Amino acid sequence: MHPILFFEGVTKEYRRFIGGSFRALDSFSLEVQAGEIFGFLGPNGAGKTTAIHLAMGFMRPTAGRGSLLGKPFGHARTRQRVGFLPENIALYPRRAEQLVRFYGALNGMTFSQLQKRAAEVLQLLDLQHDAARSVSRFSRGMLQRVGLAQALINDPELLILDEPTSALDPVSRVRVRELLMESRAAGRTIFLSSHLLSEIELLCDRVAVLHHGKLVRLARTADLLQSNEKVEITATGVSAGLFTGATAENGLLRMIVPRDQQRATITRIWTAGGDVISVIPQRRSLEEVFLEVTADPHLNLAAGGR
Amino acid sequence: MKAIVLIGVNFVREQRWPILVMLLWVLLLAFLGLSTEAARQREDLLFVFKQVAVYVVAFSVFFGSSAIYNERRSRRILSVLSKAVARDRYLSGLVLGISFASAIYCFTLGLTGSWTLGQSGFAVSEVWFLMICLLAACILAGTVSLMFSTFLNPFFAAGATAALMGLPALATYTSGNSHWGLVIPVYALIAVVLKSSFDTASVGPWLPVVLALCQALVFWFVAAQIFSYIDIAVSVE
Repeated sequence: MHPILFFEGVTKEYRRFIGGSFRALDSFSLEVQAGEIFGFLGPNGAGKTTAIHLAMGFMRPTAGRGSLLGKPFGHARTRQRVGFLPENIALYPRRAEQLVRFYGALNGMTFSQLQKRAAEVLQLLDLQHDAARSVSRFSRGMLQRVGLAQALINDPELLILDEPTSALDPVSRVRVRELLMESRAAGRTIFLSSHLLSEIELLCDRVAVLHHGKLVRLARTADLLQSNEKVEITATGVSAGLFTGATAENGLLRMIVPRDQQRATITRIWTAGGDVISVIPQRRSLEEVFLEVTADPHLNLAAGGR
Repeated sequence: MKAIVLIGVNFVREQRWPILVMLLWVLLLAFLGLSTEAARQREDLLFVFKQVAVYVVAFSVFFGSSAIYNERRSRRILSVLSKAVARDRYLSGLVLGISFASAIYCFTLGLTGSWTLGQSGFAVSEVWFLMICLLAACILAGTVSLMFSTFLNPFFAAGATAALMGLPALATYTSGNSHWGLVIPVYALIAVVLKSSFDTASVGPWLPVVLALCQALVFWFVAAQIFSYIDIAVSVE
């Protein structure tokens, strides 16, 4: 089966008029499979937007190749099946509904399809009461929701979203999160670039981290967040005083120990006459992972982070 | 085709203020027709008509040279080209938009000219032919400037267009061979308007009109080839 989005050894260099060139992406390879929510992370200037723009055909790679829904990047008709929200979207100053219909019509939708679907997507994004207002008077958050509406108008198979919730209030952010989960449940694929790590952590099945144009980490979110360094041991029937840093609550003793001390700690619990209830690998936050990965990308590559 | 028309109409909508400013010149002609002793000032009226007529070519160059730049600078181009719109179709939409804007001007000028010149006793049957010449010149000039604007700043694109359109005129002038005028015949078409006397009801030659439209097609093709290699998401500043 073809991956939905595929990059193979893609390099993108921006040539400067004076002073050589700047490599935004360096031999970047990635496969996004159908039906997943894929998180795309990286610090500012890591090359995330460049990768997205290459996929959308806004620019050509300096080297390498890639495909979108099985067709090479830049294939116009394929974009009919894609919904795209650019970072800091710029829209024509029109009424919201008119604008959403305009973008839908550019995708070849008929008048009757547009009439039905425009009302649907505006309602989905809680814009039905502002449909007749010009977007030039909208707040940044509302503009972002109109941007999402235009991305969803054609009921796309693949959604490519560049910072879709950066300007949204918490209520809208939760609504968009639900919307993305509903989209995944409906079989759509979502490629999500965001700086909101908590959101990526909640939503994404897999995560890729880009740094200085290189892919420095690619893993299932659950695997990425699972720490291999520490475990939490819960035991009963032993005194907390026997273990440094252990806490006791309702007869249960909890302690976090380095993985290399796991076996010895369990043996000590048994020797002291206690029982081990559970041994759970420590879960890290995505923020911790992100900071670690972007601090020294070469180290992670060497450690087989990919 | 639907996307091309939508982009064309959208272009006119976005350029509505410059188009209205253009139409003020036509209003000036109408004002002259109403307020002056037209029969006595026939030559002045004809001069104003010709002057107002050729302005539209300059406007079409302005439209063509700034269209892509404005869309890229505002980043609105990203939302349009993220849809199922190929770049050559996008350019076709812009050419159509420039043609619509020029046609609105030519049509309004044609109506006003027919009335004011007719009142002064001119044979106005030639007016609509001249408007077609003007429109053909606008389409060609707009397409040439659009082609240059795919890779040049609007200021340089406009300059390059003016230079390219002026070369055949220069060749005609220096060599004395009028056939040079049929290469990028913007100058030749403007000359048809400027030289018209409105004394007879005859209609001029159609060849420059046909050639202008054919050459516009060639420049559109070249523009599409160049534009397909341009990184549109890169800042234009």
